[in-house]
Amino acid sequence: MKIRLKLFFALFFASLGLFAWQAPTVHAETTYTIGTDVTFPPFVYANSNNKYVGIDMELIRSIAKEEGFKVDIKPLGFNAAVQSLSSGQIDGVIAGMTITDERKQTLDFSTPYYESGIVMAVAPSSKITSLKGLKGKTVAVKTGTQGASYANSIKDKYGFKVVTFDDSDNVYNDVKTGNSAACFDDSAVLNYGVKTGLGLKVVTKPADVGQYGFAVKKGQNQKLLKMFNAGLAKLKKNGKYDQIIKKYTGKTATSKTSKSNSEDRTFLGLLRQNQQAILNGILETLKLTIVSIICATIFGILVGLLGVLPNKFARGASTTIIYIFRGLPLLVLALFIYNGIPSLTGTKIPAFVAGIITLTLNEGAYTAAFVKGGIDAVDSGQMEAARSLGLPFGKAMRKVILPQGIKIMIPSFINQFIITLKDTSILSIIGILELTQTGKIIIARNLEGFKVWAIIAVIYLLIITLLTLLSKWVERRIND
Amino acid sequence: MANLKVDISDLNKSFGDNHVLKGIDFKVANNEVVVLIGPSGSGKSTLLRCLNRLEAPTSGKVSIDGKDISNTKTNIDQARENIGMVFQHFNLFNNLTVGQNIELAPVELGKLSKEDAAAQAKKLLATVGLEDKYDAKPQSLSGGQKQRVAIARALAMNPDIMLFDEPTSALDPEMVGDVLEVMKKLAKEGMTMVVVTHEMGFAKEMADRVVFMADGVVVEEGKPEDVFDHPQNERTKAFLDKVINV
Repeated sequence: MKIRLKLFFALFFASLGLFAWQAPTVHAETTYTIGTDVTFPPFVYANSNNKYVGIDMELIRSIAKEEGFKVDIKPLGFNAAVQSLSSGQIDGVIAGMTITDERKQTLDFSTPYYESGIVMAVAPSSKITSLKGLKGKTVAVKTGTQGASYANSIKDKYGFKVVTFDDSDNVYNDVKTGNSAACFDDSAVLNYGVKTGLGLKVVTKPADVGQYGFAVKKGQNQKLLKMFNAGLAKLKKNGKYDQIIKKYTGKTATSKTSKSNSEDRTFLGLLRQNQQAILNGILETLKLTIVSIICATIFGILVGLLGVLPNKFARGASTTIIYIFRGLPLLVLALFIYNGIPSLTGTKIPAFVAGIITLTLNEGAYTAAFVKGGIDAVDSGQMEAARSLGLPFGKAMRKVILPQGIKIMIPSFINQFIITLKDTSILSIIGILELTQTGKIIIARNLEGFKVWAIIAVIYLLIITLLTLLSKWVERRIND
Repeated sequence: MANLKVDISDLNKSFGDNHVLKGIDFKVANNEVVVLIGPSGSGKSTLLRCLNRLEAPTSGKVSIDGKDISNTKTNIDQARENIGMVFQHFNLFNNLTVGQNIELAPVELGKLSKEDAAAQAKKLLATVGLEDKYDAKPQSLSGGQKQRVAIARALAMNPDIMLFDEPTSALDPEMVGDVLEVMKKLAKEGMTMVVVTHEMGFAKEMADRVVFMADGVVVEEGKPEDVFDHPQNERTKAFLDKVINV
């Protein structure tokens, strides 16, 4: 069985780490990058300080301490974490992952650290009490989880349809709103959720029981795997393991959350509690926006100019670049660069860098298209007059055509800057902790979807307003 | 002709399937003023544009001052420095002032210092009667003024041949005279000129030779009084009847 809930968010956090390396001599501290889910309580979730906690987090940190290595935790989301692991972007995954034969084909698992099964949860008012009640209904599950495989394995037998979501909170909401009659998820996760006010009830006994393991890519990082096993054995022996499990599944777990339920849930209260996380998210979004606007503008102008050179090959190259990168969905491009390329080459690309490359290529292709269009829009007589005076192509371009073309392009540039800012939100998919990802993580903890998304939306609008004002100011300066 | 300025032989030019120039032979002597006339679509403008390779010939040879313009190995930028061109739609650089329009090429190509180029620009503007427009933007000028600036701009490179592509066709009638005056002045100073125009008065008065083209070939050529008063070819007669009766 598997696991995972679905709730929301993601981000990175990072660096928590310690060393490792049973290194012989020196204290070489190796830092391992560990991917995990955005939210899968009680195994993984962000607490009210937006720090990642839960059974998995405490286990991996305690084991790292025991064995002397450092971990850098990346809450990528379950699916993205497993993909990043197989492409070699990260070293290991601990995310309430059930050990299955299928997964063993591509991953090596540690000794199991938890046992769990799949249960069904329904809305409190629901009359459904068993699988039989699902006939003709829809069931919500989270992509790639054991709950999803279980649901698919029995859907024909019980006659229900399966709908999948990427985030646990979407799964639960779908059940709460009545779109889906039930959801399947890991027993530990759902039981914890019920205790902490999720608003669903569990109606079946754990089925399809399975074991959770820590995973590395098959044949890789065997040292890390050995350390994990050794560390886990030590924790079981010294009682720390039981302590951790009890902390998150025992009775005290509930009281802890009820405290968080008494948090101030007004807009201002939410802003205050999450001030630091939101500020960091804004900064990351701004950083991504500014760096990619600069890179995309340079790239776009170069490719656009290539497209107006009096040379067939240059123009062909420009058209092809624009065709490819304007044609690819940003999401596909981001995943391709972050997960696809490293799995081919074996070289890691940091998420921020992958994000910048993605935006540079995509936004740059749009920029190139309107740069080309802006130049083409300058009356061809201008170029003829310049050339007929003996000015070479480059000088004619620089002194006569470009100054006129740029004026034509300015509104498109401003538009593109705003689109770039908005498109940074898509980079949450590769785990960059920008504003959108920050929002997902906060909601994963407090389930205040409406208020938090409203806050995030207003922040985006504010930044866009500032960016627009700045652009208009620059435009006026250029036109004067 | 020993001092041949332009020597074109068997020039062909096609745009796709459209055969615009069909084996043209065309020569211009030094200091000669040649006026090209003919119905629209006859290839006059295309022929003119082949003279500075704004259009690349499909086949045939174009030389100016002995330089083979049609050869792609010829440094065309250098050749163009000596070939001034004036366009129907002026094509003044809209991002520059009148003065900058005139100074751009001499300064960028290292012919004159900025100061000398400015002095020259003012002098040229005076000769076309626009000395007060040095700081004006092209957008603020009338069509006739624009065309006179365009002539000044072409003269700033000190060319020894000037090509005029229907220089007055886009002008209001009352503006035509000023522009023709400037062209006459140039002709009298001995500038070699090739002019595509519908201004038959200018042709009669200033041309050393008139060339009538139709359907991509030279139909008839000669001194203006011969061509206008005693055209030999039926098509020339038909064309002249139309334009002169208008």
